[in-house]
Amino acid sequence: MTVALVLLTLLVGAWLLAVIEAWLTTGRLRPVAPLLAGLSHLGRESILARKPDRLFFETAPVLLLVVAVLGAAVLPLAPDLVIADLATGALFLNAVLAYVLVSLIMAGWGPNGAYAMVGGWRFLGQLIAYSMLIVMPITATAMRAESLLNSAIVESQAGLWNIVYQPLGFVLFFIAAIALAFRSPFDLPTAPGELAGGVDAEYTGVRLAVLRLARLVMVITLSAATTVFFLGGWQGPLLPPWAWSLIKTLAVAVSMLLVGFYLPRIREADLLGWCWKLGIPLALLNILIVGLLILVVP
Amino acid sequence: MSATQQYSLLLGLALGVLGTVLSLYGLARSLGATRQEPGKDVPASAGVLSRDPVWGRYHARYYGYALLFLAFDMEMAYMYPWAVVFKEVGLVALLDMGVFLAILFLGLLYGWSQGALRRQ
Repeated sequence: MTVALVLLTLLVGAWLLAVIEAWLTTGRLRPVAPLLAGLSHLGRESILARKPDRLFFETAPVLLLVVAVLGAAVLPLAPDLVIADLATGALFLNAVLAYVLVSLIMAGWGPNGAYAMVGGWRFLGQLIAYSMLIVMPITATAMRAESLLNSAIVESQAGLWNIVYQPLGFVLFFIAAIALAFRSPFDLPTAPGELAGGVDAEYTGVRLAVLRLARLVMVITLSAATTVFFLGGWQGPLLPPWAWSLIKTLAVAVSMLLVGFYLPRIREADLLGWCWKLGIPLALLNILIVGLLILVVP
Repeated sequence: MSATQQYSLLLGLALGVLGTVLSLYGLARSLGATRQEPGKDVPASAGVLSRDPVWGRYHARYYGYALLFLAFDMEMAYMYPWAVVFKEVGLVALLDMGVFLAILFLGLLYGWSQGALRRQ
């Protein structure tokens, strides 16, 4: 039951995100269009590139989808609406998200195409840039909760949400989450208009449908993670807990989209520079501030 | 729920997603196979095969960052257990980790001063 509800939430979230994205881009609200586009991919040819690494090529889209779903499985949407509230939930989320890199390198390597390979290698550099900014803010939230249970992290924010308690961590995590989901302005591995689609370039038909679904679900998973770690999870007045989780998750997802709409794509060298020269010192400062706050204000 | 049950549930979820995707592939296959036509399988590179082999050696121009990343990533392995007991242990924990992080941070500053944080 819980599994079905969480999966349904992910699918509905992905669908809403696709509708909103198309609405922002074209100015037309067409709720059925993403479903039709997905169905039409089933009827299209799914071409296999010449001399591919078949194993990597086939594994990449499936792995990305599995990663997104497993990441969402440890995030509580309501006190009892979580598939597996692991004792090491926050750590498990990090471990799972590391496989995004594996999937994208596979997608780049697999088809034996130049643009795809460039996209795949680019994401390796991107991981080195964003990765620390994912794990360090999560550690700071675990410090406050004294636990790696994701539900305990939510409950620790009962009095004051982490977005107020550690705003620095929220901003860093939010930016790093966009980079992890490789959405604009950090869409270096796909880079439409520059890499001809990059890692997406050689995927067609049903494989492309799975890849696109995985990207959308990934955004929802990361938005849900932002909600759990920084926005107080299911907490809120009047409405039932699951409704608050849904509202907050969608709000984060849409704000991720909006950030991408108004910023140009950043160069890989610049991304690395900003993350290491500004981001990581700030993330360490965030841990220090949170540590002092915990000690000084009991 | 015990930890074993939770992990089996997660494994089942992964296999379930795999099964769903495979049945989607099967559905797509049943709607029609891909036609083999000349030139169709050339990877996107202006319609011709790329001049150089794609699976070649690649200059990772961010290797300075990569080395620092290794140091910081190892440090994170210690940060998780530390974060859980932080409130319990108190000031000593902050000082312990503060010294550790300060040494790492000096490493970052040293690397920066030597030009490691630059596209090589």
